[in-house]
Amino acid sequence: MSRTQGRWTAGILVAGSILAAAGFAWPLFVAAVPRDAQAAVPIVAFALVPALVVALAVTLDREMYTAKTVALLGVLSAVGAAVRIAGTGVGGVEAVFVLLVLAGRVYGARFGFLLGLLTIAVSSMLWGGFGPWTPFQMFACGWVGAGAGLLPGLGRLGTRGEPASRLAARLEIALLAGYGIAASYLFGLVMNLWFWPFAVGSGTGISYAADASPGDNVASFALYTLVTSTLTWDTVRAVTTTLGIVLVGPAALSALRRARLPRPAAARRRNVRPRSTSLRGGETRTRPSTAQGAAAVPQTGPHPSAPA
Amino acid sequence: MFRFRLAPLRAAAFFAVGFVVLRVGYRVLFDGASGAGFPLLELPRIPLAGPFSHIILLGPVTTGGLTNAAVSALPVAALILLFGALNAVVDVSRLFARGAGRGPLRAVSRALVIAWATFPALLDSVRRVRVAGRLRGERSIPALLVPVFEQTVERALALAASMEARGFAATRVVDGVCERPVVLKDAALGFGDATDWHLDHVDLELLPGTLTVITGSTGSGKSSLLYSLSGLFQHFIEGDQAGLIEVGGADRAVTPPRDTAGFVGVVSQNVRLSFVAETVRDEIGFALSVRGVAAVIVDQRAREVAGRLGIDHLLDRGVQALSAGEASLVAIGAALISRPILLLVDEPLADLDGPARLRVCGLLERLAHESGVCVVVAEHNTREWARAADAWLELRGNRVHLLGPGEVPGPVRSGSGHAATPPGATAGAALASIRHLTVRRRAEVVVDDVSLDIAAGDIIALEGPNGAGKSSLLGALALGADPGTVIVAGRDVAELGHRDRRAAVTLVPENVDDLLFSTTVAEECRRADRALRHTPTGIAGPATAVRFAGLLGLEVDAAGHLLRRHPRDLSAGERLCLVMAIQLGAAPALLLVDEPTRGLDPVARTLVASALRRASGTASAVVFATHDREFARDLATRTLSMDAARIAADPLVGTP
Repeated sequence: MSRTQGRWTAGILVAGSILAAAGFAWPLFVAAVPRDAQAAVPIVAFALVPALVVALAVTLDREMYTAKTVALLGVLSAVGAAVRIAGTGVGGVEAVFVLLVLAGRVYGARFGFLLGLLTIAVSSMLWGGFGPWTPFQMFACGWVGAGAGLLPGLGRLGTRGEPASRLAARLEIALLAGYGIAASYLFGLVMNLWFWPFAVGSGTGISYAADASPGDNVASFALYTLVTSTLTWDTVRAVTTTLGIVLVGPAALSALRRARLPRPAAARRRNVRPRSTSLRGGETRTRPSTAQGAAAVPQTGPHPSAPA
Repeated sequence: MFRFRLAPLRAAAFFAVGFVVLRVGYRVLFDGASGAGFPLLELPRIPLAGPFSHIILLGPVTTGGLTNAAVSALPVAALILLFGALNAVVDVSRLFARGAGRGPLRAVSRALVIAWATFPALLDSVRRVRVAGRLRGERSIPALLVPVFEQTVERALALAASMEARGFAATRVVDGVCERPVVLKDAALGFGDATDWHLDHVDLELLPGTLTVITGSTGSGKSSLLYSLSGLFQHFIEGDQAGLIEVGGADRAVTPPRDTAGFVGVVSQNVRLSFVAETVRDEIGFALSVRGVAAVIVDQRAREVAGRLGIDHLLDRGVQALSAGEASLVAIGAALISRPILLLVDEPLADLDGPARLRVCGLLERLAHESGVCVVVAEHNTREWARAADAWLELRGNRVHLLGPGEVPGPVRSGSGHAATPPGATAGAALASIRHLTVRRRAEVVVDDVSLDIAAGDIIALEGPNGAGKSSLLGALALGADPGTVIVAGRDVAELGHRDRRAAVTLVPENVDDLLFSTTVAEECRRADRALRHTPTGIAGPATAVRFAGLLGLEVDAAGHLLRRHPRDLSAGERLCLVMAIQLGAAPALLLVDEPTRGLDPVARTLVASALRRASGTASAVVFATHDREFARDLATRTLSMDAARIAADPLVGTP
């Protein structure tokens, strides 16, 4: 992929995300729209977000079309979906962010974004939960994965050649856990935002009111989100995410780093070898071969061989 | 596309009711449930302050207000129900499967298809790891998640390699030159500066219609050499190549595997991990369908190939439901669909029993000598290929040595094989007795009325074909059977708690990786030591790291470089020794080992044999299941033969 093309993709991703954010925040924008058009705003938002999901998926699709990326995306989204559905079974303990944060961190923002999208798609397929809410969930989960990919690199930690020092590894886990907490609350916030007018309806103190001042609407929303999820689900999610990242994070990060995504050939030449190149069963190829004394001259080889 | 499932509808009904209840709840909480009708509750109105001054908490509740709230929620609830109904009848996964071949979302939809096919493997992995956790006495859930996750990532890599080799995401199609399948001129392979492994000065030319076997010990680079022909070495695992490697006239340094899928077929070692599709038909046809060949033609070619391999009756079977031998044939069929001029096969015999080995050998020989394919096989099992091979490439040191058809490489043996005398000769007291042990799996009897006495110092080999019940017998001994059937050191294993049970009997399963939970060997050993601290015996012997080094015949200081590694970066033999060291930590009276020699070269086999010998002693005995006659004969003090769920020979008449 050329650099200009990469920039284009980045531009599309950023613009798409901003537009989608506007779609999530439609209740806060309505007041700015002419009165006649206000009724159409939620409908526009509901059409915009799914369209953006498709647009961004198509943009990323070309870039992700390599065997390794597709296989990792498929397998990890299956894990994510399984975790999500198993979590629903035990009282809504949402552990799927653990996977999104770790994978986004290792494979980058674009992979993390697509993984979020696909995890929701697969789990919705599995238990049959498609609906108007699905695109919103996809975007919110995609952002969680992408955000993890945009976290700072912590210096030498990014290299996979040598195991990072103990302290650096702990720092990374702390960073990811902190991000996990922030992401858990933000996720609840944006998911409440677009659904708020539908959940409460009209006629209550915290109802969304098209004619109220933006400040009043924001205050109403703040109270709504506090009561609805911030104190309950989001806190549970933040705790499980933190626990998950601390407990399985180090091992999962190293497992993910053992399988690297393909990179441009130029970068590859200069790179240090990964700890493992294992394709099957983790059998090592790093051991020196067992030399059986001096070797014979190969029949077809013009070069005399020497003992190893 | 259409089918009916009740679950989505039920879930939607649940959410719709929840939605209505929540709406009513908000109204009550935020002064919205007043109105006409009968007053139910006279709650006070509590106005808030500051930015929330427009909000009033609570307020009176009336029947009319509640009804209004509920009714106002009905449209959205109806919408939820509607989508539940849609989900109940429309099978969305079929929609994605259709897009998997082409279109602007081909990567995403292929990823979805893979995700879909991953669930059975995921469940299987969870099941295996739970068993492994019980075997190791490890009960922390995060620790068990790690191997599941590692297996999943491993599966992704195997899948990706197999997709890549079959032309997935190919950008330009290269045509191969039939006359020159493989040409290597002064080629060198390595992994940069980071490791000491490399191959130098490889000169080689292979002709159509020949079968060449690459042999050498584990770690000598058989697979790397094979992968350098398939291109996976240069373009997938990111090894470095120097010199010239040409495959069908295409320069490997710049031609990735996906572009040569039209004339290079690749069969990976662990064929089950590399299956991409759900059915045998789709699996065999995969290479054609990713190239956009019409479905009718793909189907016809798949049937043709299956017919040739004698597996047409399997076409509609799911790939998960194949036996090891069938899976190998399907994988070979999938590689043959694009009529390759070069077929690369990685250790095809490792998982197979006798008859299946003969079948696969015969098939590959016919492909070479009758169909004119250039077949290259990487294998450390040389015996089976003695008749079929036209040439041998033996890897020794950093060189590749070409041997002609007459010069079969001698079995690589490092001396100590026969040297040690079995220590069991002097022992006698019965350590364990098994009485009328029967194990059923669903309706099938997998172990049928087995009775057996084991003496201290015994090293018992358990032989028999695939499916004879060897693993089931060992599993039942380690994880509990009916009361009174398994007595070890005078105690009924069925009545012991999990800690006491591990002091009586432990099992090293066939997939030893399942028992590895940590990121370094040293940590793995510390974890095992920690677990032992809670056992009744405490740390009876030396720490796990010392024991591990001991099994390898090393001092613990000399094993330092191994302790720093990731457990999965150890060689297969070393990994087995690590798991044996962990399992011996509980000082079990009886150590069971399932297939210790699977996938091991002769050097590693010798290593494992001496480790097993060290493990048996005055207070303990070893039972191992194996296909490997020679290994069993060298090591065992007694050999038992198992067939069709029964022990065939009289177990009390030993044949040392």
